[in-house]
Amino acid sequence: MIEERVMRLMRKGAITCSEETSVRDVAQIMVINSTHYCVVINQSHEVLGIISARSILKAFDRDLDQTKAEDILLPYTFTITPTTPLKEAIHLMDKRKIEHLIVVSDRPGTKAILGLLHVEDIVDKMA
Amino acid sequence: MRVCDLMDRDIIVCYPDDSVKDVVRMMKANKFRPAIVVHESGEVWGLVSRLAVIRFYGEELEKIRAEDVMRPYNFEIDPQWPIETAIKLMRRTGFEHLIIVDPHAGPRRPIGILTSFDIVHYMSGIETGHFEQILKMPPEWTSSSP
Repeated sequence: MIEERVMRLMRKGAITCSEETSVRDVAQIMVINSTHYCVVINQSHEVLGIISARSILKAFDRDLDQTKAEDILLPYTFTITPTTPLKEAIHLMDKRKIEHLIVVSDRPGTKAILGLLHVEDIVDKMA
Repeated sequence: MRVCDLMDRDIIVCYPDDSVKDVVRMMKANKFRPAIVVHESGEVWGLVSRLAVIRFYGEELEKIRAEDVMRPYNFEIDPQWPIETAIKLMRRTGFEHLIIVDPHAGPRRPIGILTSFDIVHYMSGIETGHFEQILKMPPEWTSSSP
């Protein structure tokens, strides 16, 4: 049986913001796009991290217009690529308690984002 | 701002004996909301989150019961709590979903669910139904060129 890969379920592209974006703006980007995440990228389009709905709660009692995305982002320290086995990606989601995984190119040295693997798409496939 | 002002009243419930296949189908039909597991008497027993079900990807979901997947839920969140109290609890426990029980509706009867996204919505300052106003383009963009 052929092992399923991330490329089968990943969505191309992602909702992004820069590290300088205020948390208020990040919240608005998430609500307007009805997404539970926002990927933080720098000017070279390299991925710095991801902000989830849960990580925004960290800023609840701060000034939302002064707090920047870089202050609350979850640093992007683990890699999945389109060829990562789906089972391995699911294990990573479960272990790290993250509902979205950033997919980057498998070419060495590049951190440009290709897309995202969403928990909803996996549940959808299971239904 | 109180919990009841932000919580989502559309909840999905299942019984401990329901199969994970049924739970997953219910989630899909309801915008992928987590499912609340209730006892036959209607009391909250636990919560089946999306992350909990994907662990069983590729397995025979008809043979796995909701009870085997659920996380027991032992909190009692009152709808009248200030939102700050609920956020503190979310931060402390790492829970993304809080089940709201109404003390007047009977013992541990679920009446709503509060998610971290509901709080993001509140923090964004966008009121429900105001999307059109925000997305409206400036007049100079829409004016037709002569």
